[in-house]
Amino acid sequence: MANTWGYGAMTNSLGDIQNARSIIIFGANPAVNHPVGFAHFLKAKERNNAQIIVIDPVYTKTAAKADHFCQIRPGTDIPFMYGMLNIIFKNGWADESFINDRVYGMDLIKEEAKKWTPEKVADVTGVPADKLIQITNVYAKNSPGTLIWAMGLTQHTIGSSNTRLAPILQLALGNMGRAGGGTNILRGHDNVQGATDMGCLANTLPGYYGLGDGSWKYFAKQWNVDYEWLKGQFQSPEWMNKNGFTLARWWAGVLDGKNGNDKIHNGKTGLKALFVMGNGITSVAQQAKIKEGLDSLELLVLADPFVNEAAVLTDKQDDVFLLPAATQFETSGSVTATNRSAQWRRKVVEPLYESKPDQEILFELSKRLGFYEQYTASMKDSSGKFTWPEDGTREVARVIKTIGLTGWTPERLKKHTDNWHMFDQVSLRGYGEMKGEYYGLPWPCWTENHSGSPLLYNTNLSVKDGGMGFRNRFGLEHDGVSQLAAKGSAPKGSKVDGGYPEITRDNIEEVLKIKLTEEEKKKIGKNWKVDRSNIIAQKCMEAGIAPYGNARARARVWTFPDEIPMHREPLHSPRQDLAKKYPAYVDKDNHFRVDTQYISKQTEQNWSKEFPINLITARLVNMNGAGMENRASKYLAALSPEMFCGINPELAGQLGVRDGDMIWIHSPEGTKIKVKAKYSYSVSPDRVFLPFHFAGHFQGEDISHKYPKGTKPYAIGESANTVTNYGYDIITQIPETKGGLCRIERA
Amino acid sequence: MSEMSRLKFYCDEGRCIECDGCSIACAEAHELPAGINRRKVITLNEGKEGLEYSLSIACMHCNDAPCEQVCPVDCFYIREDGIVLHDKETCIGCAYCLYACPFGAPQFPREGAFGAKGAMDKCTMCAGGPLETNSEKERHIYGQNRISEGRVPVCAAMCSTKALLVGDAQEVSAIYRERVLARGHGVQTSPMTWSRAYGTK
Repeated sequence: MANTWGYGAMTNSLGDIQNARSIIIFGANPAVNHPVGFAHFLKAKERNNAQIIVIDPVYTKTAAKADHFCQIRPGTDIPFMYGMLNIIFKNGWADESFINDRVYGMDLIKEEAKKWTPEKVADVTGVPADKLIQITNVYAKNSPGTLIWAMGLTQHTIGSSNTRLAPILQLALGNMGRAGGGTNILRGHDNVQGATDMGCLANTLPGYYGLGDGSWKYFAKQWNVDYEWLKGQFQSPEWMNKNGFTLARWWAGVLDGKNGNDKIHNGKTGLKALFVMGNGITSVAQQAKIKEGLDSLELLVLADPFVNEAAVLTDKQDDVFLLPAATQFETSGSVTATNRSAQWRRKVVEPLYESKPDQEILFELSKRLGFYEQYTASMKDSSGKFTWPEDGTREVARVIKTIGLTGWTPERLKKHTDNWHMFDQVSLRGYGEMKGEYYGLPWPCWTENHSGSPLLYNTNLSVKDGGMGFRNRFGLEHDGVSQLAAKGSAPKGSKVDGGYPEITRDNIEEVLKIKLTEEEKKKIGKNWKVDRSNIIAQKCMEAGIAPYGNARARARVWTFPDEIPMHREPLHSPRQDLAKKYPAYVDKDNHFRVDTQYISKQTEQNWSKEFPINLITARLVNMNGAGMENRASKYLAALSPEMFCGINPELAGQLGVRDGDMIWIHSPEGTKIKVKAKYSYSVSPDRVFLPFHFAGHFQGEDISHKYPKGTKPYAIGESANTVTNYGYDIITQIPETKGGLCRIERA
Repeated sequence: MSEMSRLKFYCDEGRCIECDGCSIACAEAHELPAGINRRKVITLNEGKEGLEYSLSIACMHCNDAPCEQVCPVDCFYIREDGIVLHDKETCIGCAYCLYACPFGAPQFPREGAFGAKGAMDKCTMCAGGPLETNSEKERHIYGQNRISEGRVPVCAAMCSTKALLVGDAQEVSAIYRERVLARGHGVQTSPMTWSRAYGTK
C-alpha cells in the first residue's frame, strides 16, 4: 500500500462504505471482527442495494450476509485478482483515463493478467470460471466499488504482493479517491493505526520516518536530546539504522541459531530479555518455538491487566515478572481509529489496586535505566514540568509531519470527541460549531486549522478541505517515465494543474509560484517532512498544493523482489504441481536480523503427502486476539468454553471422527494439538478451521496449573498457533498463518 | 393503552450477525447465573451457503400471553404497556409455561443433587418485577429495572448492527417499514415471529 501510493492506511472510512454500490471483501470477516462497523456494510446493502461479494476460504458470518461468495483455496488471491483484471481489461471495463493520468506500470499488469484466463484461475484457486466471471461483472459494473481486506490477505509469504495487487485492482477500475470506493483495510484492534503511526514497528521511527542519520538527527532535535548521546546508546553507530527483530520472530533472536534454528545477525549476542506490553503471546505463530525462546530468556517481564499466557507457557521459574497494567478505562489520551481519525479517550476510574497505566510503567522504567530526563525532555516547559497526556500529544503534533499530524492538538481532539453528535456518520462532515472539519481530523491534517482528510487521494476536493493526489515518494522518474501525475489531475483549486514533486525548501518558490520573505527563509525546514516551522504546509494550503506532491500510484515497485505482484504457492502447499510452477522466493538472509527460508522450506519434502489438509486460523466474535480478558469473563467464555476444530462432516466421516470427538492435529513443524472436533459446513472437506484465542494447554498437556492462584480463566485450551506452519512474508515478515497444512488423527 | 403504543421486540434477520452482544449484555446486566439464558441468538443452517440466518430470541411479551393462561398459580401479570412479568415468589417451577411458550423463553435453574427446578426466570424487558421499583430486592430477584428510568432494554441498546429493536409498536413498525422499503426487493408484510406473538392485526 505505502509502496503503491504513499501511505499504508485505510483510504476511506467505515461510514463511507455506505456510499458503495458494490463491496468486495478479501480475507476479512467484519461481521465477526468488526460487528459495529459491519452495520455500515448492511446499510449499504439496505439503502444502496450494494452487492456484497466475499472471497474467503471459509463461509463466514460475513459471507452469510453476502450476495456472492467464493470459497477460494488459501493463498491464491493473486490468481483470483489477476483473473478479475483479465476480464476487466478484455471487456474494456478499466478506467483508462484514470490509469493514463495517475498510474505508473499498469502495462506490465495487463501483460500478466492476460495469462490468467478464467479456466486457469479455476484450476489454481478452486473457484469455478463462471463464478469468477459473474463476480467480476457485478463488481466492475456496480461502481463505485470498495475493496476490503484484513489478515486473510496479509498473513502469507506473499502478503505484501497481495496487498499491492488489491490496490492495483482498484486503480484499474478508477475506484480510488472517490466516495464509496477505496481500499479499506480493517484494523483488528483498538488503536492499531495509532500504534503503527507512533512507530511500534521494527523498521521505522515514529511517523514512518525511515531509519537513517537524517531522521535520527531530526528526532534528536525534536526530542531535545543530544544526537551523540542517542548514538552512544547503541552498541556501535551502524546499529542505529538497522531493522530490529519483529513480533513474529523475536524468539529466533533468543535461540541464536543454535540447534538448527535460523541464524541471526544481532550485535554480539542473542536476545536476553523480553518486555511485553499488551501483546497476547498465544496469538503469535509457532508456539513451540516461542516456548523455547521464553525458556531461554534471562529476564521476562509481562505488563498486562490479565496474566499473559507467556507466563503459563514457559517453564522458566526465576526472573519472570508480572506487572499489573491498567486498562484503557483507567487512563486517558488520544487513540487512532482504522480510518485515521483520532478520538480523545477520558479516564473513567482511577487505576485499581496496584495497577499502573502503560506510560507510568515506562516512565518508572526509564528512571531505573537512567534516561528519564532525556525521555521527557521535549514535553517539559521552562519550569521542568509537563502534563500527561496533553504534552505528549503536543509533541506528536509538533514532530510528525510525514502523515500530517500537525493539526492534532489535544484541544481540537477533545472538542471533536465532546461534540461527536455534530458530525455526519457517513461523510464525517461536521455541522454547527464543527462545520468545516471532519470527525477526528483524519490524517493528514496539515495545519492547526486544517479540516482533516476523510478520503485519501481525492482530487475532487481542494487540499485545505481534505483533497490530494497520490504521494510523490519514489522519485521523479523511473525508466525515463515521469512519476508525476498528468496534466488536469491536480486537486481542486490547485495553483498547479497537474503533477508536482514533494515540496522542499529549494523548490517551494518555483512550484508554488511564490516569494518567501527573508524571515521565512530563515525559519523554513529542509523539506515538508522536517519543517518544524510548518511554513511549507501553510504556504501549500494557500496554493491548494499537497505538501507531499502529486504523483502517480505505481503498479510496479522496482525495489521489491517481484516488481509486479506474482503468484507464489504457500511454503506448505496442498498442490505440489503448482508449487513447482509457482515456486516460493529464494531464501532471504538477515530478514529483520534472521535468515529466513522460502524455497528451501517449500522443497524440503512433499509436505502435502503427509499433511494433506489446509489449516486456517481466525477469530471468534466473543474473543479478541489472544482472548486473555475475554476468557476471564464467564459470560463470554460460556459462548465458546473450549478450544475446537471446525471440520466438514465429509472429511470427518473419512477419518471416522464423530461430532464432539477429540482429535490430534499434527503440523509439519513436528508439533501437535489435541482439540474437540466440531462439525461445520463453513469449511469445505479439504480444510479445517481453528480459532486462535486459547491457551492453557500445550501439545495435549494441561498446563493451566501454572496460572497464579485465582487467575486461571474460565475457558482454556490448545493454542492454534502451536500447529501453524513456518513461513513469513518477504517484506514485512508477518507469519503465514492463513495457509498452512496439517494432518488429523483420532485421539 | 392502544395496541400501537404497546412495547414490542423485533429482530431483523437481515441484520443479525450472531455477535451475541444482546445475550451477553443481558447476562451481564442482570448478573444471571450460568445456564439461565433470558436471551439467545439462534442460527439456522450454519455454514450452508445462502441458507444461514441468525435471530435473537427472548420472551416476546405476547398479546394474550399463553404462559399467563396456563399458569396454575396465576403468577403472571401483564402491564398496561404490554410487558409480561411474573411473580417469582409465587411461581412453583412447574414449567407449564415452557410448554405453552412458542419461543422457548422460560428458563429454569437446576438446583440440588437431583436437578430440581427452581422458580422460572425470563426476560423482563428490563422492567423488573412486582416488588418495589428499583429496590435492592427487585434487582436481586428480577435484575435491573431500566424501563422505570426511561432507558432502553440493555439487549437492544447493545446490538451492534441495530438488528434488535424494542419500543412502542408504532416506532418499531416505522423503522421496519423504512428498512423494507429501502431494501427494494419484495415487501414482507410482517416480521418473523410477530404473527405468532401479537396475532395478525
